[in-house]
Amino acid sequence: MNKDLEHKFISEFQEHQNIIHKVCRIYTSNQDAHNDLFQEITIQLWKAYPKFRGDSKISTWMYRIGLNTAITLYRKSKRSIVTQDFDSVLHRIKSTDYDNTEEEQLKLMYKAIHQLSDIDKALIFLYLEDKNYKEISNTIGISEVNARVKMNRIKTRLRTILNP
Amino acid sequence: MDELDLLKKDWKKQGDSFQKLSYDDIYKMIHKKSSSIVRWIFIICIGELIFWGLLNLAIPEKYLEIYEKFNLRTFINATQVLHYIVIFVFVYLFYKNHKAISVIDSTSLLMKKIINTRKTVNYYVYYNIIVYIILSFILNIIMFSKPEILIEVFNPDQIKIDSDKLYNIILIVQIVVFFIMCGFLWLYYRIIYGILLKRLNKNYKELESLDL
Repeated sequence: MNKDLEHKFISEFQEHQNIIHKVCRIYTSNQDAHNDLFQEITIQLWKAYPKFRGDSKISTWMYRIGLNTAITLYRKSKRSIVTQDFDSVLHRIKSTDYDNTEEEQLKLMYKAIHQLSDIDKALIFLYLEDKNYKEISNTIGISEVNARVKMNRIKTRLRTILNP
Repeated sequence: MDELDLLKKDWKKQGDSFQKLSYDDIYKMIHKKSSSIVRWIFIICIGELIFWGLLNLAIPEKYLEIYEKFNLRTFINATQVLHYIVIFVFVYLFYKNHKAISVIDSTSLLMKKIINTRKTVNYYVYYNIIVYIILSFILNIIMFSKPEILIEVFNPDQIKIDSDKLYNIILIVQIVVFFIMCGFLWLYYRIIYGILLKRLNKNYKELESLDL
């Protein structure tokens, strides 16, 4: 394929790669799986890049392909099973300051998020990224009203996990 | 502070904690092969299209001689021509649906398109199975309605055997083969759907139930 296009893509991607890291953070719970998903999303982005017209922001375009890959296209690879998960790593680091309730709460929150369904994960991800309901509804392909209802349910669910 | 605000605050500041990939890392990545389910479905569907398309050609010459004896050659030829036209239509539909899959669509539309592509090939397989069942049904009726030719074909050496017994054996063998075939197909689809499409179907149902 065109070398210029390749160069342009890699430069732009490099600049915005955090978006993809964050998608992986929501959908995977260990480093191997994270890398695996990251790679698949990168491949999908590159495959779709020749058709990217620039009529939307590149970040919007990346959100979409990132989530679509994580929810629909990605097949979990077998080698991601045997490694240590993020939560336990986090736990080990933080065990020295147990009095820090905020850290404990966050740990519980992330754990709860990992237990959500794929669709719920997408919604909470877009919420954390400060996307409005219009954008959320366009990305997922559900009505704005339903996105709102669903989001409230997820938020309530996350809150009750922390305040049973 | 609300727990969710706390989460959001933490989420925002994690940006720098990720390992930054270099130009070379990304260059290497984009030259790797995708292992997405769309790619897998494409490969499997092509395999199915070819398998069922070629199954026809796999009929041994000896069988054709049998059909000849029953004056069924023209009938078989006509159904084959029709069969290949139908296959062609299916291949076209599959190609069209596969091309329509776009990763930039909304999640629910993307899922819908993948499911549609897969469905096309499923219908193709159903079509094949039904055609085989109907054809073998018709052929059996015709063959059993002319017992003298049937005996001649299946017992060319005129071994002394009760003709009722021979009928039964032919019939039982056909039924057993039919059930074994069904078993294989069932297993095959359990595997395909189990591995590839379970998660997709589950997510799609969740989205659909949202928009009810």
